[in-house]
Amino acid sequence: MRDTCTACLGTAFLGFTFSQLTSCSSLPVFKTNLSGKTVSVPFTSFAESKLVIVRDMQVAYDILVVKKSDSEYNAIYMKCSHQENPVTATETGLFCSAHGSRFDLEGNVLKEPALHPLKKFKTETSAESLVIDLNS
Amino acid sequence: MQRPLLILSILLTVFSTAFSQVLTREDSLSAGLIRSNNTTVLSGYGQLKFEYDAKLKTATANLTRNVLFLGHRFSNTIYFFSEMELENAKVVGGKASGEISMEQLFLKFSLNRDMYLQAGLFIPRIGLINENHLPTTFNGNDRTFVETFVIPATWREIGVGLYGNVRSLAGLNYSFAIVNGLQSGGFVNGSGVREGKFEGSNATASNLAVTGSLLYYYKNWRLQTSGYYGGSAGLTKRQADSLQLKSGPFGTPVALVEGNAQYHQNGVSFRALATMVSISDAFEINRAYANNTPGKMIGYYAELGYNILRAFKTDTQRDLTIFGRYEFMDLNYNIPENGIKNGINHKEYMVAGITYRPVHGVVVKADYVMRHTGSRNEDLIVTPFPQQLPYYTNNGFFNLGLGYSF
Repeated sequence: MRDTCTACLGTAFLGFTFSQLTSCSSLPVFKTNLSGKTVSVPFTSFAESKLVIVRDMQVAYDILVVKKSDSEYNAIYMKCSHQENPVTATETGLFCSAHGSRFDLEGNVLKEPALHPLKKFKTETSAESLVIDLNS
Repeated sequence: MQRPLLILSILLTVFSTAFSQVLTREDSLSAGLIRSNNTTVLSGYGQLKFEYDAKLKTATANLTRNVLFLGHRFSNTIYFFSEMELENAKVVGGKASGEISMEQLFLKFSLNRDMYLQAGLFIPRIGLINENHLPTTFNGNDRTFVETFVIPATWREIGVGLYGNVRSLAGLNYSFAIVNGLQSGGFVNGSGVREGKFEGSNATASNLAVTGSLLYYYKNWRLQTSGYYGGSAGLTKRQADSLQLKSGPFGTPVALVEGNAQYHQNGVSFRALATMVSISDAFEINRAYANNTPGKMIGYYAELGYNILRAFKTDTQRDLTIFGRYEFMDLNYNIPENGIKNGINHKEYMVAGITYRPVHGVVVKADYVMRHTGSRNEDLIVTPFPQQLPYYTNNGFFNLGLGYSF
């Protein structure tokens, strides 16, 4: 009886997990090249999603750009403030797989062990693109 | 008069220069503000606890642990991490008291932005508490009992691990590691495989273990499943043959599977975990060592909490969480023919309490633990002590404690 219950619980758990997996998709990735100390992301990159991962191979970690409005963006460095692990971005926040820290889409700590928010870069908008200042 | 002052000022300058290279926060290394290599970081965490036994009417106060973290960045891709732990405040030569040990010591090599390797003494991703064991990250003064006895957190061994996330599916992470195996001769009835760990100390690496996990973040959920399979003979073929145990890298195997889920949103927190350990050669282990090893152990728990400060203010950094948790484990779920059942290995815990975080990194905890077990098998007490305390199948413990991490 207990064996059966355990098997049922395990099957239900795995079934739920994988049924949810198939209903998800990845965030769009925009690959770019560093220009001076800035990175430009065309506004067309946000056509599919309000969240875009910006990847520049000269920059050690990805940057998650969150479009809050046409003129307001968050550019969050995807490096955990706890032990430098790369964080995972989803539509609801950022997560560190190493120790369980959790951040909101402003980079604020929602769950420890991280004690400090994620680093945010200043952004400016030009006619056709968003400019992220990596010096900020 | 002026000369001592001059010497003092020189010394202060020298010391301040020297110590300015050693940062005092583990996460300063990673704040992104320090771009130079060769950065050394000092940090730590710890907890202490007062416990009152409701049946025996006795109390204990203990500095449970203090852990010093030392990290160093050699380059943008190579890092050193170490944690040295002192349990129970002091270690006295020749006496049963505290313990000093390395909780982790490994080098991490970033392969690219999605993958890294770590090699050394590290904690594989098995369960929740194992990797995330800082006292500021869980409710209650004690780590969950299931993840103490069934999953022996903090379970660290020497090996190599690959960690990464799947680019094509946001939120999906994986890990795979090869570590040294366990020592079945060390298993103690009632504590699962806990006493069979090597924890980096002269491990018999002739038996190995593989472990892997899948971790997925979906909306406000964190879902994980992991497994472990490894040998536990740790002997030469000749020795193993003489004890009629299976030798080889995966001889006399121990297998573990677990699944867990966590949820956080609007001050509500939920976590649950279920796990099973299987020791298929338990009969042979008992025949060799007479340590009453079980064939199977199971455990599960579920916890619900709510940060009541969220009811009054949504943006507060403080946290006052009330929580309740139920835990069940059976460390004798299945025993071989030559094993002896002991009722105290069938345990239930009900834990209720509060966790107060005045700032990030500090917790004040109060909880009450109700423990219910089966009866003790008196046949297992070979030489009874005349003043032996009675065993209560129902007991309660009031705990008060502090925790910190920085």
